[in-house]
Amino acid sequence: MHVSSSTFFFCEPVTGERMRWLSGVISAAGGEGASNETGSVKIFLSGDALFSLLDARTRPGWVTLSRMPSVRITADGDVLLLQGLFDPVASGIPGIRVTGAGNGRSFWGELVFALEMDWKGTKNAAFLLCNSPYMSRVPVYMLRFLASVVEAGLHPELYCYLDGVHVLHDGQRPSEFENIGKGVSALAGETVRSCRDPWFAACSRCATARGYYQMNPGTGFCEPASCIQDIAIRPLKEILARFPGFYPVASHMGGWTVPAGCEGGGVPGLSVFITHPPYCSEWTFGGLSLAIAAAMDGIPTNVIFIEDGVYALQEIHEVPGNERIFNVQEMIAVTTDIESLSYHVHSPSLEDRGIHRTGDFPLVGKVSDGDLPRILFPSKDGPASATAMRMLFF
Amino acid sequence: METTNAKDFTELTCTNLMIKLKILLNKLPPGDAVAFYATREQVDNTCSPFSGQGYQVSWTATAENRYLVRIGK
Repeated sequence: MHVSSSTFFFCEPVTGERMRWLSGVISAAGGEGASNETGSVKIFLSGDALFSLLDARTRPGWVTLSRMPSVRITADGDVLLLQGLFDPVASGIPGIRVTGAGNGRSFWGELVFALEMDWKGTKNAAFLLCNSPYMSRVPVYMLRFLASVVEAGLHPELYCYLDGVHVLHDGQRPSEFENIGKGVSALAGETVRSCRDPWFAACSRCATARGYYQMNPGTGFCEPASCIQDIAIRPLKEILARFPGFYPVASHMGGWTVPAGCEGGGVPGLSVFITHPPYCSEWTFGGLSLAIAAAMDGIPTNVIFIEDGVYALQEIHEVPGNERIFNVQEMIAVTTDIESLSYHVHSPSLEDRGIHRTGDFPLVGKVSDGDLPRILFPSKDGPASATAMRMLFF
Repeated sequence: METTNAKDFTELTCTNLMIKLKILLNKLPPGDAVAFYATREQVDNTCSPFSGQGYQVSWTATAENRYLVRIGK
């Protein structure tokens, strides 16, 4: 029997559609319906994900999961107070634990405690930040998480990607909100004072696009512009060079599963869920770019087109003559030969939308809800020494 | 000296440049070549490896850390 330990952290909305496939994945991680696998699953909910605890479309799913002995669901009490949901959640679903709000260890302390249990012996913990400050509250959660990482005696790592690189901007001065730039600087200072090394980086492509990394015509090299000092601008390749390490990478939506006994052994795999439609936002391009770069560096990587992400595979995409944009279908077509990279498309998401995967992508395999655990938890069918798997949503 | 029909790929990551070049080279008629500007790092990490895949790769420096690269079938 294989034993695994899984943790999921969600702070963006959990829709009815997401709840349907996710509950199957979580049940499988907890050992339901699997013949040779058992495990513990911790789910941490903060931000907008908390609304799903009361939403009639998703509440039954959480109730069912909360009754499973192997599943523990923890809600962020401080955010529940802010949202006016503390009492309805605390008294409405018996299996949900509410932490923070003055009740013992903070929500973030609980999350860090959970990751230390999963990644036994880890010395680091990272946060992949893809959301910009002020428009999103995710950077606040990033600060809370990394502060708890430092409190736990671990080395904090921050990877700013896509709009997350706006955290770099010097001179932030929000009138009503927590200053994220100052928060990062304070965190870096606190980390150094506790004799630990902060490793804070921002993707150079994303920073260049947003004007934080500008060409010096005299040297021909880019230099930071209007940036705080505490985050280094680095190529994505250098950020991904950290990923073979045995430590967790949290994000706004994601998680990990760690088979027992795999401490430090092997390179953790990566599963990237593409959940947004292509082109109108950078999510699909950003997720694909990160996944392809990871796979090219030898990290076993799955890309799963799911929910609105399946529109990337519908019909044939053509970039109009003068547009400067990557055709995501061409990106997929020329990367199916990368050995460490597997593409999948979620059949129920196609069916719900009444669309079909174009016939040009036979190497993008269709997967059902039942297939997802096989992809995400390979230890179930593989050797007991299988490696950990990180999951990131784009 | 700048070549007007050569695209500027200097801001692409090495991975995205590789993808871009594979897409362009797939569409390239035999005997033809693509020309573009790249940085030294891109030339070393992404452009040069195409020579091992049956392509002719050449480059010339046009400014500090700026190279005009040609890859042909």
